[in-house]
Amino acid sequence: MDTDVEDLLREGMERFTADLRAPAGLIGRAARRRRRRLALRSAAGAAVLAAGAVVLAAAGVPGAGHHSADATAYVVKRAVSALSAAGPGQIAQLTVTTTHGAIRGGQAVTTTAEEWSYGGQWRSVSYSSAGQPVYDQGVSTASGYTVVSYLTRTWAGQRASGVSSASASAPSGCAAAAAVVSSLLRYGLVPGFGVSAGARSATVATALRAAVSCGTLAVAGRQRVAGTGAIELTSRPDSPIAETVWVSPGTYLPVRVVIRLSGGQPVLQQAADITWLPPTAQNLARLTVPVPAGFRQVPLAQAVTPILQQTPGGLPKPTALCLAPADPVCKGSEQPFRLRAGAR
Amino acid sequence: MAADRDAAELERFLAERADHLLRTAVLLTGSREAGEDLLQTAVERLLRRWRRFDGDPESYLRRTLCNLAIDGYRRAGRWRQKERLLRTGLRQARDPVGEVDLRDALVRLLVQLSARQRAVLVLRYWEQLTDAEAAAVLGCAEGTVKSARSRGLTRLRELAGDWNDTAAMPGR
Repeated sequence: MDTDVEDLLREGMERFTADLRAPAGLIGRAARRRRRRLALRSAAGAAVLAAGAVVLAAAGVPGAGHHSADATAYVVKRAVSALSAAGPGQIAQLTVTTTHGAIRGGQAVTTTAEEWSYGGQWRSVSYSSAGQPVYDQGVSTASGYTVVSYLTRTWAGQRASGVSSASASAPSGCAAAAAVVSSLLRYGLVPGFGVSAGARSATVATALRAAVSCGTLAVAGRQRVAGTGAIELTSRPDSPIAETVWVSPGTYLPVRVVIRLSGGQPVLQQAADITWLPPTAQNLARLTVPVPAGFRQVPLAQAVTPILQQTPGGLPKPTALCLAPADPVCKGSEQPFRLRAGAR
Repeated sequence: MAADRDAAELERFLAERADHLLRTAVLLTGSREAGEDLLQTAVERLLRRWRRFDGDPESYLRRTLCNLAIDGYRRAGRWRQKERLLRTGLRQARDPVGEVDLRDALVRLLVQLSARQRAVLVLRYWEQLTDAEAAAVLGCAEGTVKSARSRGLTRLRELAGDWNDTAAMPGR
């Protein structure tokens, strides 16, 4: 009888488990659960309860059912706090992929750019689809605006007047925040785009902080981003811009932002992977636009025009960029990127 | 980065062995949900020490699964909660349709054994370990394993007899 039971038990175990497959993401979930335990252990009282509610909801633990307003409030609070600290303390490095759909006979155009933002400085290097640099542009309080065109091997500069780091402030209002986030990520699209007094004064950190805190995002779950189970915050249906922000569950800093503008044609989607760098001398050097040897200095319009001619949509040719509210060129313009338009 | 390489190594190991370990966990707990939960907890423990881990991850996970199933899981009260559900499920399976044969019934009846007896039977008949190897996994004497195995099988025969009296058993 023993042998019968043993054999039957063996066969039963084989049959009972034959169709079982382990779920994907065991390690990711284990890491999240561990962080959750550590967070719960380190927090106290109400903070412990809040953190538990968030992680349960955000991790999609069975039984949590939905992502509660409490979870959103907690994540937003942590993200805002992290971005407040990151603004003055860390350099935001972004890899931006822009997909410009339904242009040029329905062909989508994808461009990439590397961007850095820190204090009153930002820099963007745009690449062709073949991975070659097309242009490199940047703004700093010290040197103003510089653009280097690799198409024509030229460069141009414009000194800013009245620019001070004290002007760096977060935009107010959700629509403004959304517009600024969008324009920050569009630095790589065309030279000068986004170089307005409002956008220029906001770093990526302050713009993201404004966007996250304006109440249009809600926790949507977890997704693996940059090797971590990031918390996904996505815009509510009534928000002025469709955006999704993934924040690190460890630091609560955004690690990816995706913005989709579909109100007009063509559809524009931008995805930015964000890395936060310490402001070491080596990292700060990334904010400076280098002018390669042999490149010729030309007037701004001459440097920018060949690039704009390759840009979807056709934009006014700039002869001067608005770098600070005090600049005369900034007055009376409501364009998202303020410039004095020349011939098209 | 060393940490990334380590994590990748663990990923590769789980890609190969996670299915088998999940099956062990499901047999130890009696349900897929509880098994996944148990395996997740064991992986979490391994992950915690993975950077300094020097040994066979499968042996570690197997031992952790058994220990959690016998001690931690039961102590946390989660097991009892799930056990009630499983007993309910078993009664539902014993309907007149009689689609569950004795082999399935024996596996389902495992949840009515003590946690240690269940672990011993899983290690012996699913993992195909010897009594000595099972004793090493459970950290007990070989005699304890033999005793638990004998009592477990006896109890299973009794339960199967009851089941046989009240339900149709195709294949018998």
